[in-house]
Amino acid sequence: MLTKEVYWKQIITKVQTWARLNSIWAVHFNSGSCNGCDIEILATLTPHYDVERFGIKLQGSPRHADVLVVTGPVTRQARERLLRTYEQMPEPKFVIAVGSCTISGGVFDGCYNVGGAVDEVIPVDVYVPGCPPRPEAVINGFLQLLTHLKSGSRQKVQKTSQPSQEVMA
Amino acid sequence: MNTEQLLQQAETLLVAWNKESLRPDPTRLDAVITADDLRAATQAIHDANWGYLSAITGLDLGPEAGQMEALYHFCNGSAILTLRVRQSREAKAVVPSIAEIIPPASFFERELQEMLGFTISGLNNNNRLFLPDDWPEEVYPMRTDFKTAQAAPVPGRLADELPEEGVVGGNTFVVPIGPQHPALKEPGHFEFTVDGEIVTGARMRLGYAHRGIEKAAESRNWSQNLYLFERVCGICSHTHALAYSMGVEKLAQVEVPPRAQAIRELVAGLERVHSHLLWLGVAAHEAGFDTLFMYSWRDRETVMSLLEQITGNRVNYSANVLGGVKCEIGPEQAKAVKEGLNYLESRIRHYLEVVTTDVMFLNRTRGIGTISFDEAVKFGLLGPTARASGLVRDVRVEAPYGAYLRFPVSAVTETNGDLEARFVVRLKELLVSCFTMRTVVDNLPEGPLSVRVPRKIPAGEAISRLEAPRGELFYYLKSNGGENPARIHVRTPSLCNWVSVLEKAVGRQLADVPMLIAGMDPCFSCNDRMVTVARSGDRQNWSWEQLRQHGIEYYSR
Repeated sequence: MLTKEVYWKQIITKVQTWARLNSIWAVHFNSGSCNGCDIEILATLTPHYDVERFGIKLQGSPRHADVLVVTGPVTRQARERLLRTYEQMPEPKFVIAVGSCTISGGVFDGCYNVGGAVDEVIPVDVYVPGCPPRPEAVINGFLQLLTHLKSGSRQKVQKTSQPSQEVMA
Repeated sequence: MNTEQLLQQAETLLVAWNKESLRPDPTRLDAVITADDLRAATQAIHDANWGYLSAITGLDLGPEAGQMEALYHFCNGSAILTLRVRQSREAKAVVPSIAEIIPPASFFERELQEMLGFTISGLNNNNRLFLPDDWPEEVYPMRTDFKTAQAAPVPGRLADELPEEGVVGGNTFVVPIGPQHPALKEPGHFEFTVDGEIVTGARMRLGYAHRGIEKAAESRNWSQNLYLFERVCGICSHTHALAYSMGVEKLAQVEVPPRAQAIRELVAGLERVHSHLLWLGVAAHEAGFDTLFMYSWRDRETVMSLLEQITGNRVNYSANVLGGVKCEIGPEQAKAVKEGLNYLESRIRHYLEVVTTDVMFLNRTRGIGTISFDEAVKFGLLGPTARASGLVRDVRVEAPYGAYLRFPVSAVTETNGDLEARFVVRLKELLVSCFTMRTVVDNLPEGPLSVRVPRKIPAGEAISRLEAPRGELFYYLKSNGGENPARIHVRTPSLCNWVSVLEKAVGRQLADVPMLIAGMDPCFSCNDRMVTVARSGDRQNWSWEQLRQHGIEYYSR
């Protein structure tokens, strides 16, 4: 027998998930990318690929964002800023790593100013490989995230030795 | 004057200081001078109005030689004059600053200082340019004996240290912008000191995207580097790969077949169209004109699909191989290119009409950020930014290379020098590009697509310059005869154009700043880094750390 409180909580969660699935707001962070992925992300927003039809919108402030879209290998200067941007986002928050550099450092692996993969700094939900990934791949990445959210089977990957203050969902 | 006469003139100018003249190739003159004479020699070149300072390359000749060399490259037409200054590697390697004579040199000198450990005497700004603030002292990445392990962060320092105080005093505030900001795709940090709405000071912090490509190039072989340099910038990847391969081909003394050169020019032309349309959209977005942003990006997809049809990729096309190209233009592609160009041309004409007649848009562009011809020369501007002020800086015209000898282009200039002129120049340039590309497609020379380039490149030095969408791109390559390059130095056009933005922002309204930077939005998502929070009259000073903690707690609820 459900108590009244639990009942309402379930309803609210359902409504929240429904709303979230239909209006994902993303914030973009360039952690030292070559711009290749960044322009492909912008291309997905514009009329030809038009992710706004899924309710996905790129906007400026991490405070208003659900998803952090990261591009590029993490350079030493960008590392701290990436962490800060992530911390500034309200819960629940998701991370999509776009491009080979975010996954392994890509062609820049081993460079003196490059730290390596994004998941060594912040937990990542979806990886989109490619150098750069096509806009279709970026859309697929978003849809992967939406599918996971819908089924509630979200998995985060984090390799960092010092976990951020985040409690992993 | 032709190149030979220009070089002779330069030699005459330098006769008092020149210790040794070298002519590595017909377009270049190397003059060896001492560090003490550098200022006098630069002054003489500057006074005679001989070209402009294009780049300063630093070379470490290795611990055995015990010397370092700074190369000051001046370009005039297709003539390149290089002043070579040698200093001991062990001592402080003091070189006088020439920034007083040539202001844009200060960026190059700061790079020289932090990358190689030259000491630039009389440099007004000794802050780090590219390297993080926690980089250890006296470790210089471009030295030959540098090991990545030496670069471990200094404990207790942050990678980018910001000033602790946000309030300067009275009505003056510091508005920090970046490195995460809404529109510009590149991370840069700007600090604008504002008095009310008026900008009174501007500062910039670069290096968020500094990856250390020049160093990485030294540990990879010549053909691997082609793909590395393509990823210096994803927007103008073809020009980077092209500049690199042109340099390697010069070193290997290989002649690229005419058909390959023509295809290279075609891809470069398409890349220019995609880059300028991208810029048009982003700049319009800054002005709050999102309709134009959406339209121009929709039309940009036409170019992207053409690039994909020709090269197989949308971005980072890899059209080049050393010694030629790897993509063929068949009748099918030629037809597609021409159809695409017809459509684009009509759209570009439309955009030209929009940016010159739309009243709202003109309010944001006309008469704003005006740079006069003299200032453009003084700041050392390049590319469309310079051409909008009537200064012809276009390598395709000044020093034609590759297929531009066969298919010449004309330089587009405007005289107003304001933001509107920069829009007009770029769009008119696209019309010229469309015309040239059509000519190229109609008159593609027959022949092979590539020639063989040896795995080991003969020892020597080469300079390759070409016109990227944003201005002159400068590559310096040095080979020791091995499988890997000894040194590659890249000077991108944006580095030269930053000065104009910082100078021109002062005195303008803060709202004009994003348009001036043309790609930075004033929606201050970064306002959470403001250090003073005013609450009901009383002021409370918060440190960065407190503010950050507050933010985390507030939003984790």
